[in-house]
Amino acid sequence: MNKKLYTIALAGNANVGKSVIFNQLTGGNQIIGNWPGKTVEKAEGHIEQEGTKIHVIDLPGIYSLSTYSEEEIVSREFIAKEKPDAVINVVDASSLERNLFFTLQLVELESPLIVALNQYDIMENKGLSIDFEMLSSLLGVPVVPTIAVRNKGLKELFEKSKEVIKNTKKVKPILYGREVEEKINILTSTIEKEIDTFYPPRFIAIKLLENDTSIKTMVKNPDIIALAEKLKKELTKIHGESPETVIISERYTIASRIAEQVTKKKGKTKINIGDSIDKIALNKITGYILLLGLVLLIFYGVFKFGSYFSELLSASFELLKPIFIQLPLPPLVNRLLWNGLMIGIIAGVAIVLPYIAPFYLILALLEDSGYLARIAFLTDNIMHKLGLHGKAFIPLIEGFGCTVPAVLGTRIMERDRDRFIAAILATLVPCSARTVILLGLVAAFLGPVYAIIIYALTFILMYILGRLLNRYIKGSPTGLVMEMPLYKKPVPKIILRQTWVRLKDFVYFAFPIIIAANIVMEVLTELNWIVPIANFFKPVMTNWLGLPPLAGITFLFGILRKELTLIMLSTLYHTANFAEILTPRQIFIFGFVTMIYIPCVATIAVFKREFGWKRATVVAIGEFLGAIVLGGILNQVLRIFMP
Amino acid sequence: MGKKVTLIHLNPGDKAKVIGFSTDHERFKNHGVGPWHKRKHGMGMGLARRLQEMGLIPGSIIEVIRNMPTGPVEISVMGTRLAIGRNIASRIYVEKI
Ligand SMILES: Nc1nc2c(ncn2[C@@H]2O[C@H](COP(=O)(O)OP(=O)(O)O)[C@@H](O)[C@H]2O)c(=O)[nH]1
Ligand SMILES: [Mg+2]
Repeated sequence: MNKKLYTIALAGNANVGKSVIFNQLTGGNQIIGNWPGKTVEKAEGHIEQEGTKIHVIDLPGIYSLSTYSEEEIVSREFIAKEKPDAVINVVDASSLERNLFFTLQLVELESPLIVALNQYDIMENKGLSIDFEMLSSLLGVPVVPTIAVRNKGLKELFEKSKEVIKNTKKVKPILYGREVEEKINILTSTIEKEIDTFYPPRFIAIKLLENDTSIKTMVKNPDIIALAEKLKKELTKIHGESPETVIISERYTIASRIAEQVTKKKGKTKINIGDSIDKIALNKITGYILLLGLVLLIFYGVFKFGSYFSELLSASFELLKPIFIQLPLPPLVNRLLWNGLMIGIIAGVAIVLPYIAPFYLILALLEDSGYLARIAFLTDNIMHKLGLHGKAFIPLIEGFGCTVPAVLGTRIMERDRDRFIAAILATLVPCSARTVILLGLVAAFLGPVYAIIIYALTFILMYILGRLLNRYIKGSPTGLVMEMPLYKKPVPKIILRQTWVRLKDFVYFAFPIIIAANIVMEVLTELNWIVPIANFFKPVMTNWLGLPPLAGITFLFGILRKELTLIMLSTLYHTANFAEILTPRQIFIFGFVTMIYIPCVATIAVFKREFGWKRATVVAIGEFLGAIVLGGILNQVLRIFMP
Repeated sequence: MGKKVTLIHLNPGDKAKVIGFSTDHERFKNHGVGPWHKRKHGMGMGLARRLQEMGLIPGSIIEVIRNMPTGPVEISVMGTRLAIGRNIASRIYVEKI
């Protein structure tokens, strides 16, 4: 190794363990989960060794080098254009045939390839064994068996990758049937003479025969296109199928042949308990009962846990107050210190963390077990009413954690239109910050039933909005095509790590904002600016929404982060006993408006990045106006029931 | 030889051979064009290719695992499980064996 910098890319089907390997190799923090489509952007990490630096790239899962969905474009472009020094093709050993279909295409692309035969444990549980040396000689590339979650075989994988980087010998092509091979050869030799691109000529020839439109546009040369068309017609004539069907099925024939040759049945297949679970979990009746029960249980659990620790922590922090008040400092500094800095920290620790921590833990469990994909299956028909399909439900569930990854996660939708609708709905999902308000304010001071009502109102709103968007945004919706992952026993290390990573992000990102906001608020108080600002909001806040004028200020801070609305309320009134400040109706309206009035700045930023300024602005303003209008109407209606 | 049906007509446990897909072109011929939201969802060539890449090639054998009355169909193909939305499933032709 003489260069200073090398790149290794991890490529393979969805859900095979690429991100686990990435994290193990680089110490990175990629999200891991047991459903296809969670890695939506390529991630970079690096390893330094003996003066050389190796970049490792984790790519989204991809089934083919013919692009279909947006996440796949990222992967193909990277492998084809950036030409990494080695490509680790991570393969699910327990479904070799399907995975080899993609491996064969990487061979066609003449990537410097190495195969990681991952999930070796799961394959053995199926009662199979693979002769990986034979596989290696059939493919002409090194093969290393690995169990990523137990860090087995990864060291050897890395060593072999370094060898692949050093050794630049070309991999010999794997041959199709005679007729197809004939056509490929004719086309390849013409391409070799006529054009020069970063794709290998044989690869271009195959893709042209496969009807790949983007390769066709790239080639341009009319003679070659015409020749390809002629050859395609001949193929269709011989086989009676479209040329892409011919090529795909021949490629599958090769993959099946290789898989069959190297796989041995040893011992009995253990009965797949996943199938028994699914008999209940995906049943048309019990499946939905289970789902609903689970959701209620989760929220009840988080609420109980959160409110208990929230009270405990608040009480303990109160004990600190006398110490701070008596510090020998000028009173102004003293007030800034306690009301600004300390209350900020306390709010973060005592009001927010107790709800968020258990929530993240449960989210990680859902992600790693494989149940999330089942939820997508169960909700597919509901989502169709919104012009989406079941997979859209996955980013929506992620949205209960945080809206930012949810908006990014909508990339698992195949089309821009579906993504946009899903992303708008994702901004309305009560994220953990909003959950803090619902549980810590509405459920704690009005009762859990009222929190459930607000949840229900939000979901109804999402449903209506989804139907409207589906009607008025042009384009036709796509349907669900999703690989169903096997259930897996969650790995404690991965669960805890994932929870910790998210919590750490939250603390690093949110705490400074919470504390800074508190200090700003304290300064505003010292300057006596609070009342004038509040009066400015009075017409809307008090006359229309029926809230105290000061609520306007807290909503302003809420644009930074939603939980600030609650925290600022406690800062302004110097108490966390919200029943003293707000009437029941006000608590309800406050909760409802906070739910929907605007996504926080981080959401607006990510929305802008993904969909552009225009759409981001429309969504932000639309939700703001929607919240005010609906909140006001709700207030007028509630007057009748709650004086 | 079994009858030519679509995927949604099969019951759990049924095995079948894939025959082909009905693509947009055929469908529009049969159903004409209405307001788009009343039309059936489209299966463009991209989707047909994707299904083939997932293993649903004409001639391959699949097994139905689950068929939700108004929801998706789950099948076993090439040693993996695939969930397919009802609309798409209704345009995959198979022959029961
Ligand atoms: N039993 C077992 N599970 C694994 C192995 N590698 C990954 N997993 C699990 O497979 C799932 C998918 O892993 P992930 O790295 O997110 O897949 P990616 O989509 O390829 O990035 C997760 O639930 C992992 O915990 C393995 O070798 N054995
Ligand atoms: Mg991943």
